[in-house]
Amino acid sequence: MNTILALFPLLIIVVASLLVMILEAFFKRENRSYLAYISFLFLIAAAAGCVKFWNKDYSYFDGNLYLSNLSLFFCFILIVATFLVILISMKYLTLQNANYGEYYALLLFALSGMIIMVSSSDLIVIFLGLEVLSLSSYALTGLRREDEKSNEAAVKYFLLGSFASAFLVFGIAFLYGATQTTAIPSIIKELQSGSSVGTLGLVGLGLVVIGFGFKIAVVPFHMWTPDVYQGAPTPITAFFSVGPKAVGFAVLLRIFIPYFQDALESQLMFGLLWIIAAITMIAGNLIALRQTNVKRILAYSSIAHAGYLMVAILAQDTQSLVFYLTAYLFMNIGAFAAVIALGKKDHEYLELDDYKGIGFRYPWIGATFAVFLISLAGFPPTGGFLAKFYVFSAAVRQGLVSLVIIGVLASLVSVFYYLRIIIYMYMKEPSYEVDINIDNPALFLALFLCLYGVLQLGIFPGNILVLIRQAVAALPFL
Amino acid sequence: MEIPILSIVTFLPLAGALLFIFINRDKENLLKYLALFISIATFIASLYLFFNFNAQTPDPQFVEKSPWIGYGINYHIGIDGISLYLILLTTFLMPIVILSSWTYIQKRVKEYLIFMFLLQTGIIGVFVALNLFLFYVFWEAMLIPMYFLIGIWGGKRKIYATVKFVLFTMFGSLLMLVAILYMYNLFYKATGTYSLNIFDYYRMILNPSIQVWLFLAFGLAFAIKVPMFPFHTWLPDAHVEAPTAGSVVLAAVLLKMGTYGFLRFALPMFPDALKIFLPVLGVLCIIGIIYGGLMALIQKDVKSLVAYSSVSHMGLIMLAIFALNMEGIVGGIYQMLNHGLSTGALFLCVGILYERSHTRMIKDFGGVSKQMPVFSAFFMVCMLSSVGLPGLNGFVGEILCLFGVFKANKILAILAVTTVILAAAYLLWMFQRVMQGPITNDRVRSFKDLNLREIIYLTPIVILMFWMGIYPQTFLRKMDVSVSNLLNQVNRKEAIFTEAKKENNPPTYIFMEKETKTDSIAKEDKESQ
Repeated sequence: MNTILALFPLLIIVVASLLVMILEAFFKRENRSYLAYISFLFLIAAAAGCVKFWNKDYSYFDGNLYLSNLSLFFCFILIVATFLVILISMKYLTLQNANYGEYYALLLFALSGMIIMVSSSDLIVIFLGLEVLSLSSYALTGLRREDEKSNEAAVKYFLLGSFASAFLVFGIAFLYGATQTTAIPSIIKELQSGSSVGTLGLVGLGLVVIGFGFKIAVVPFHMWTPDVYQGAPTPITAFFSVGPKAVGFAVLLRIFIPYFQDALESQLMFGLLWIIAAITMIAGNLIALRQTNVKRILAYSSIAHAGYLMVAILAQDTQSLVFYLTAYLFMNIGAFAAVIALGKKDHEYLELDDYKGIGFRYPWIGATFAVFLISLAGFPPTGGFLAKFYVFSAAVRQGLVSLVIIGVLASLVSVFYYLRIIIYMYMKEPSYEVDINIDNPALFLALFLCLYGVLQLGIFPGNILVLIRQAVAALPFL
Repeated sequence: MEIPILSIVTFLPLAGALLFIFINRDKENLLKYLALFISIATFIASLYLFFNFNAQTPDPQFVEKSPWIGYGINYHIGIDGISLYLILLTTFLMPIVILSSWTYIQKRVKEYLIFMFLLQTGIIGVFVALNLFLFYVFWEAMLIPMYFLIGIWGGKRKIYATVKFVLFTMFGSLLMLVAILYMYNLFYKATGTYSLNIFDYYRMILNPSIQVWLFLAFGLAFAIKVPMFPFHTWLPDAHVEAPTAGSVVLAAVLLKMGTYGFLRFALPMFPDALKIFLPVLGVLCIIGIIYGGLMALIQKDVKSLVAYSSVSHMGLIMLAIFALNMEGIVGGIYQMLNHGLSTGALFLCVGILYERSHTRMIKDFGGVSKQMPVFSAFFMVCMLSSVGLPGLNGFVGEILCLFGVFKANKILAILAVTTVILAAAYLLWMFQRVMQGPITNDRVRSFKDLNLREIIYLTPIVILMFWMGIYPQTFLRKMDVSVSNLLNQVNRKEAIFTEAKKENNPPTYIFMEKETKTDSIAKEDKESQ
């Protein structure tokens, strides 16, 4: 149905970010956490909108903005992610002396960009959303102005991100040249119809993959990830590891799942993505083994997880992809929340050596962190296991047995470095005192919500699976 | 409504663990007594299973089924004559293990007990699960508490040992996961319904060329767990570094998960592949028996001696199971229980020595029996039970195993007998060096004999050793029907594809008709979707 209501979630978020930006001027620095509360209100309103519009199929701008169930589901999990990220940011910003009002505004702008991306299937609109997301991301990365690492990360991210955007635009232009359209379904139809499109279309598609490959951080387009993840403020790292990845995959699945249905035409791209998935899983996990900085470990782990998600794309199974993203959201933000929890004024504990004995000194934080790590490693009964189970199961159904074997062996490697953090937390005696600021209710709420999410998805995922099934029922999305 | 007794046995420890989270860590005595109480309650609940078990039917009993996630993933548990005893063994040992760590564990008692209970739920879950997914969940989930038990309360090289343990086991089980997914998918293609019910897979007989791969995947996971030579290297490390209670659980129950896996999954699902690999497996078992025995002979550390004796004994159990006849498999299962008891008891004895001396080196002891006559008696019974002295449990099991192997292959049987000879050699020699002779080390003079608590937890084991040795019928008769049903399955299925192979193009899979009322819930599943 064509109605302006389709803009509701997006507009709410945009209004929220503008409001926060204006109000910032009126709050003293100590009181900036009110901005977070205002953001929460708007996020809840937007989320309620997503729930309300379920099964309604609203669209606007000639269908260029289309709230299918799948889009709504993505919007919802992105809103949840932002919500959690703001929760974990509140105290962090004060402690790390980065309490700038534009923080929340930028975060909400990024969210609005992501909402645009997941609710459109026109490449130009998607590109608009991507740029809104990217520009806010660059600024967020460099938020800690006095910190060299943060600045370096911002510049790196900006340069490589611009390149990626350029590749993407270039790819869109090629596709337009080949097919005379920017709407994904029509492009796919043209590509499948055969020879007239030919090389031009394939090159275009390849460039689009490169563009999004940067955003979702798959090997070999992952080089920026560790530095940016390490340099950015930790809540923003959590945000990067989930948000852009989710939207990147939301777009890729719109392109490739219909495209792969014609196995013959898509052979080349299929092979390419197969290789990307395999090396992402292998390299991401292997390099993570050598890291000693927890943020970097989590950065490489997020690269590896992009590999597993890529397997879901190759398996052409939206359901498992969406489930994986949902589980990944909770466990990864949870892990970062635990990292943030182990911080004090002007200092974060990020080296593995800092984690010695943490598990017994701070049993609750230690235990929840351990659960998130166990989930990331894919042990039952957590969401991480079920997510891997679904993805690999879908891949086996498509006959991708060798890719699945690579996947499980890569995740064996990952077990080592996830458990390594646990070893430091529980099995080594601390060599020096680590004292942290534990007066942080918002953060603990976030930890609790993530823990709940991970366990709910691992043990009783029934309801969410039903929702996801409804969301993907409307394939191919238009 | 019936009482879901099996679920209670499985999840009571988990409930205990959850309860413990909210108890203050300083109340150590409360924690310990509560733990003892919960573990005894679990044992009593499991006795209910034993007394109400119907020995006449091969079908799973105390079955509980309810939909869980959908797509064939259901909560489906039940036991038969094979799993019954393994559950009893687990619940029987848990109170003993908790008593044994009463003073041994001095730091972080609360976490220790929580992990113990999580471990127990995981292990029992493996034995009761009748759904492949559920089985896998327990199989993997059980690694985590064991990882912490070794890693936190272990010895000097604990981190190395625990990481090795987890990675070895994970390696096998991840490949098993791929195999499970493959079968899951194949079943779906064949029938149009999703199922992970193991009885559905019993009915689906696969082409041997596929069976081979699946058997390798499953077999590797189980062989690592058993452990069979050459996948045993994690075992001595894990055993030596683990705290006493961890070693006991590891030896007594965890290793049995591997043999149980062979009996429950690898044998009835892939009989043709099994027949193909039998020669290799047989040789590996024999190597394991002899190698384990010889290694045990040269160990300087009592604990690693017992660990290597496990490798040797488990080799005999696997060999007996691969004999694929009634005596062999019954003997194998019986020997699993015996090994659980006697090796568990030996680890307890080593633990008792270690608590007094803080060393496990054989050369540091000598003449201990003069100082500790009561302990000496207990230790001797446990040791002789492991050697296989007639009148004790080990003898019955070993004789049955060897009968079974002899029936299947005489040469292997002759080689397998070395296990008894070697066991006698390394255990008696160890006993002599540790317990007898003059006291060479002055520290030994300060050893106190067993206290009441130690006597309390060793006595039930010794009683059971005599009982199982003198009147094995109590236990054996409840296994027979299940085992003969298993053998039937293996033989009948193998025949089916031998028949089909005569044609040129054997199909990928053949479904057997349901001749018994095997409870397929695939249909219900389809409706619920």
